[in-house]
Amino acid sequence: MLNRIFRYSVGLGLAFGLVGILFVVSCKKAPQQAPPATPKKSDAPKAETAAPAAKPAPAAPKADANAPAASAEEKHPDGWELIPLTLPKPMFVGTPQSFQGVTNLEKPLGKPRATFYAPKGTVNLAAGKAVKSSDEEPIIGEIEMITDGDKEAADGSYVELGPLLQHITIDLGSPCEIYAIILWHYHKQARVYFDTIVQVADDPDFINNVRTVFNNDDDNSSGLGTGSEMNYVETSEGKLIDAKGVRARYVRCYSRGNSSNDLNNYIEVEVFGKAVQ
Amino acid sequence: MTKKWCISILIVAGLGAALRLPKLDLRPMHGDEAVHAYKFGQLLEQNYYRYDSHEFHGPTLNYFTLISAWFAGVKTYAGLTEFHLRIIPVFFGVLVVLMPLLLAGALGKRAVVIAAGLTAISPAFVFYSRYYIQEMLLVCFTFGAILSGYRYIQRKNLVWALLTGLFLGLMHATKETCIIAYGSMLAAFALTRLTAGGCSVKDVKLSHLAAALGAAVAVSALFYSSFLTNPAGVVDSLRTYSTYFNRAGHNALHNHPWYYYLKLLLYNKAVTGAPWTEALIVILAAVGFVAAGIRNRIAGFDQRLVIFLAFYTLVMTLCYSLIPYKTPWCLLGFFHGMILLAGIGAVVIMRIAPKMLVRVIIGIFLFVVGIDLLLQAFLANYVSYADHNNPYVYAHPTRDVFLIAQQVEEAADAHREHYRMPIQVICPNGDYWPLPWYLRRFNNVGYWNDVSDNIAPSPVVIAAPQVEQRIIARLYEGAAPGQKNLYVPLFDRTIYLRPEIELRGYVTKDLLDQMQRLSASGDKR
Repeated sequence: MLNRIFRYSVGLGLAFGLVGILFVVSCKKAPQQAPPATPKKSDAPKAETAAPAAKPAPAAPKADANAPAASAEEKHPDGWELIPLTLPKPMFVGTPQSFQGVTNLEKPLGKPRATFYAPKGTVNLAAGKAVKSSDEEPIIGEIEMITDGDKEAADGSYVELGPLLQHITIDLGSPCEIYAIILWHYHKQARVYFDTIVQVADDPDFINNVRTVFNNDDDNSSGLGTGSEMNYVETSEGKLIDAKGVRARYVRCYSRGNSSNDLNNYIEVEVFGKAVQ
Repeated sequence: MTKKWCISILIVAGLGAALRLPKLDLRPMHGDEAVHAYKFGQLLEQNYYRYDSHEFHGPTLNYFTLISAWFAGVKTYAGLTEFHLRIIPVFFGVLVVLMPLLLAGALGKRAVVIAAGLTAISPAFVFYSRYYIQEMLLVCFTFGAILSGYRYIQRKNLVWALLTGLFLGLMHATKETCIIAYGSMLAAFALTRLTAGGCSVKDVKLSHLAAALGAAVAVSALFYSSFLTNPAGVVDSLRTYSTYFNRAGHNALHNHPWYYYLKLLLYNKAVTGAPWTEALIVILAAVGFVAAGIRNRIAGFDQRLVIFLAFYTLVMTLCYSLIPYKTPWCLLGFFHGMILLAGIGAVVIMRIAPKMLVRVIIGIFLFVVGIDLLLQAFLANYVSYADHNNPYVYAHPTRDVFLIAQQVEEAADAHREHYRMPIQVICPNGDYWPLPWYLRRFNNVGYWNDVSDNIAPSPVVIAAPQVEQRIIARLYEGAAPGQKNLYVPLFDRTIYLRPEIELRGYVTKDLLDQMQRLSASGDKR
């Protein structure tokens, strides 16, 4: 048995020695450098396998995917950001019941709406700007309330215009590139406002270069064209409209009554963009 | 074959399969798995495989997966599922569970049943049996070579020589680290000869040796040449070792200390819950190792085989521990040796116990710890499968990849072009895997390391936060006024590709509105 133990121990020693020699011989002298930080598990698993070549986007010519965009910092000196929105207090909770007689109605999101990305320096161009209305004597409130920054649904925060098709027009003061428009009609209770149409133009009379950025008049009852957007229930979040970066000075919002009565209401309109240099 | 023996085989096979087979799509695909899947997709669709001496390892994984795809009738990469891929390592994993039973004559039935049972329930073995990488195949072929080599030594039969060569060739065709196993086997053979005598090289017939080597070379060459369509692949399979020697010592990304593997096996403190440990196996292996050395003869064991396994395991453990480059799945090779020794160790302990009562107590203790191993195996694979507390989860994607895939699918449902919808994925250094796997059904996905000014923005963009400024600039400045889409976040919360590796999604508001309408109406195309 002792012989067996002795031979086994020699074998063990040889095993250690053999492996040790292999490692000493195969080790190259590396230049002195600081030891790497202990890698966290989140480090990229590149070493085992690397990604094969990327599939190019077939619809457009492929740039060299490995080269960074040339002079990226020079071309885009401005930063870009998620635009934070200050929203009013919600006045009702839960999912509103179905609205009788309202067709083509968008179902509630059930969660807060996402905000949007825009260039740094994007501001609410409509804040404090002059507003005109098709109804020169509103039933409740003053037209200026529409761009006063107060988005609450409390009494004294909204304007009430007469029945049938009415509109309000905001003069931004100069041509602007408009990325988004947010519209609050009235959100003290759940309502749907009909024939909501938003247009932009270069002149206050909306004759030149009129462009429609939102239209949910699906039967063209307002005579401004048939819209493809859906009816929606007013909430404290307002209606976010993609203005596609149109350039215009004037913004006009139409509506034709609502699910509760024939009147038209506005709490606030915000127009996000940048003045054109 | 006795009834007891049959029941034992059924139990270990059943355990092994039951732990490995269910819910193969549960765990997110690791980046490495997704890359192998992509490579396999090329083989499946285009019958194209070329060995890359710098990456991706050997071809056996790809070619064996053809069998699974053939059985399932899948002909496209997009048609593959996690099951089609991961069933291959599962199959080899179950084989590894059963193979020790072939050594019943040499090591005794109890020892091999214990070894097979430990293989079946080892969390490491179960976890990596469900991983679409080469490791389980390598372990299986390595053990096949040891088994066949042992049989050859017993019987000096040409068939066993050929089988040994076959398995050696398959090892080489699987992963470059096979040379560690080759070296360990040779060293163990020499050391066994030194300490215990027995068969020497002179006893091997030259014709049998030539046949074995020929078989090994033929099998390896067949795979590396992509079945004779790429002869250069054979040369590359040898040239690759310069890459791997360099990587072993000079790739800091996966450098770990010498005790890394032992720590993984012995004790890992979880942030919550019980620690992870397979110490039972390591301790029993140590018992088996010592027993091989000090006992003149263990009844029922082929002493030389036990000594061979002991030296083989030791040399392999030393080699892997000393190599700075380490990833957890690399421990399987030497850990398998430990499991075989553990089977022997368990039997030795029971035999040397002085009284029946002591044996019963030891038996109960071993059983209880075995149950703990089983529980760990279940938790590691069906609960904490993507949790960084799990020691076998390494640089692993989070479950958020499922959310990314789901959101992109919903966007495609809402987009008029559906699976042809353009998608851009922009991550520096190509750090977007495994997204190509989850977006494999989409025909129009571009993967970029940075924002390109030549490419029009897609309706859906997924990107690393560090390129966000350039992306948003591109989204808005690239289009004419009146045609600039408003972009909103695609995800409702912060999304991580891997822990601390955030990804962001951008989608046009128009598309998001359409997605939300479809979702609210429950109407999907």
